[in-house]
Amino acid sequence: MSITILKAGLQTTLQGAPFSAHRHLGMPAAGAADCLSLALANFLVGRPSGAIAFEITLSGALFRFKGPCSIALVGAAEYLRINDQQQPRHQTLTVKAGDMVDIGPNRLGCRTYLAISAALQADSLLDGQSTYLPAGLGGFHGRALRDGDSVPFVPDSPVTALQRTTPESLRPHFSNDYMLRITPGPEAAERNESALDALCLAPYAVGMRANRMGLALEGEPLSASDSSNMPSAPVFPGTIQLPPSGNPYLLGPDAQTTGGYPRIAQVIRADRHLIGQLRAGSRIQFVQITTDRATEIYREKLSLLTSWLGQITMW
Amino acid sequence: MTGELPSLHICDDWISIPLSDWEMVLAAQTVFGASNDWTEIVPGRDSIALQFDPAAVTPDQAGQIVLKHLANLERASGTSSATVVIPVCYDTVFAPDGEHVARKLGIAVETLPAWHASQVQRVAMLGFMPGFAYLESEAECNEIGRLANPRQSVGAGSIGIIGRQSCIYSFDSPGGWPIIGRTPLRLFDPVRDQPAILSAGDIVRFEAIAKDTFDHWLQDATK
Repeated sequence: MSITILKAGLQTTLQGAPFSAHRHLGMPAAGAADCLSLALANFLVGRPSGAIAFEITLSGALFRFKGPCSIALVGAAEYLRINDQQQPRHQTLTVKAGDMVDIGPNRLGCRTYLAISAALQADSLLDGQSTYLPAGLGGFHGRALRDGDSVPFVPDSPVTALQRTTPESLRPHFSNDYMLRITPGPEAAERNESALDALCLAPYAVGMRANRMGLALEGEPLSASDSSNMPSAPVFPGTIQLPPSGNPYLLGPDAQTTGGYPRIAQVIRADRHLIGQLRAGSRIQFVQITTDRATEIYREKLSLLTSWLGQITMW
Repeated sequence: MTGELPSLHICDDWISIPLSDWEMVLAAQTVFGASNDWTEIVPGRDSIALQFDPAAVTPDQAGQIVLKHLANLERASGTSSATVVIPVCYDTVFAPDGEHVARKLGIAVETLPAWHASQVQRVAMLGFMPGFAYLESEAECNEIGRLANPRQSVGAGSIGIIGRQSCIYSFDSPGGWPIIGRTPLRLFDPVRDQPAILSAGDIVRFEAIAKDTFDHWLQDATK
């Protein structure tokens, strides 16, 4: 059985858990840009939090199902329609062969996850199946889906009778204004302390250069120390680099594993799922906290989520 | 490790450890790789980053584990390294920066291939993209530096050089290193048991090949 993509929209990829423990080979994380929305969607269809799902970006997408299964939609999309009938998001729904699933565009936020109660077939490598677009690896032949593509799935037998609705209190809210909490990066202390303070003074806006690799931020330019001879150093999703232009650059899930710009800050793990919902024009207020506080916040958030989702991982 | 231990920097869920050089980074990869404490171990040129699970350990606890292991960190010596021969076509079509590099090195551009292929290189680390290799030459030479304007696209297999450091691009990607040649080898192929053909610590020798050899090689690879 399979799902045909009638309209792939701006960028629809297969994404689940990130690649892990292979950064020493240069393999980036990839995976869902918003791991929380993915986990919520997967839970509604009885799948593990990191199971492969459709990650849909900004413009919406249109699918035709060629077999029965349960689906669930969580994310920024304004609406979900099955055969032109408006359907609730955040809820388990059943589709049958021939059904058209129409995911609307989004006014706020950036990404939406369509989870399926069946295993979507995707290329496997390094213990993962997510799509890493820059090198054309994983997912659907390493690329974004195009109109007319068909993604096979192995149907669950029998179709699960699971019926779940995400509690109101756990549903993500989308906005144009975000607060991201950060801890200082390795190059913050020595030469760029004033830059780190300045970063938290006023909001920064996401510029037009915004994709899964990273987001160029616009605002008051920061004073950058000379980094022309900086040796390549490890970076992670959520690392904020300070290039010579003084415009901070926030790394996303597809970011390279090493970089040559000063690492002035790191977005805390509890807030990193929000990076996946940033789009050109989104405004970010950075707030500096301690690493101890970051750990507390992460554990509190995890405990809140596991009360509904069971064991999950966030990245 | 003798003498004073380096000062750690804890960034949320990862720890940056400054080290003296890439050989110490390589030794640290081995030492920290022997335990299950870390979700990622990422080498840099003169530092290494260890990522931990903040649900399982606090930053302080992670830092303590690092310090305990750092005390045992010794420069790797006498370890056997694999030697990997990388065929490179230095033809001008693959060497857009040949003239620039030769001028910086103070040698004639015709002698650049022989000069580069005569160097013994070590793989300092993999990073940036899957299988992308950072190499370190044993011989001293002039610094060349990166391009003032990075290219939007550098072809997979391109050989870059900024002085004692060379690199091999594993996939088509943007890039700022001056380019002097190209290998037909696939540096990273997920269908192989070992997807990356190079590992940190390997010895690399470049072997100059002609343009038609390069073309045949690519044809064979795509058959």
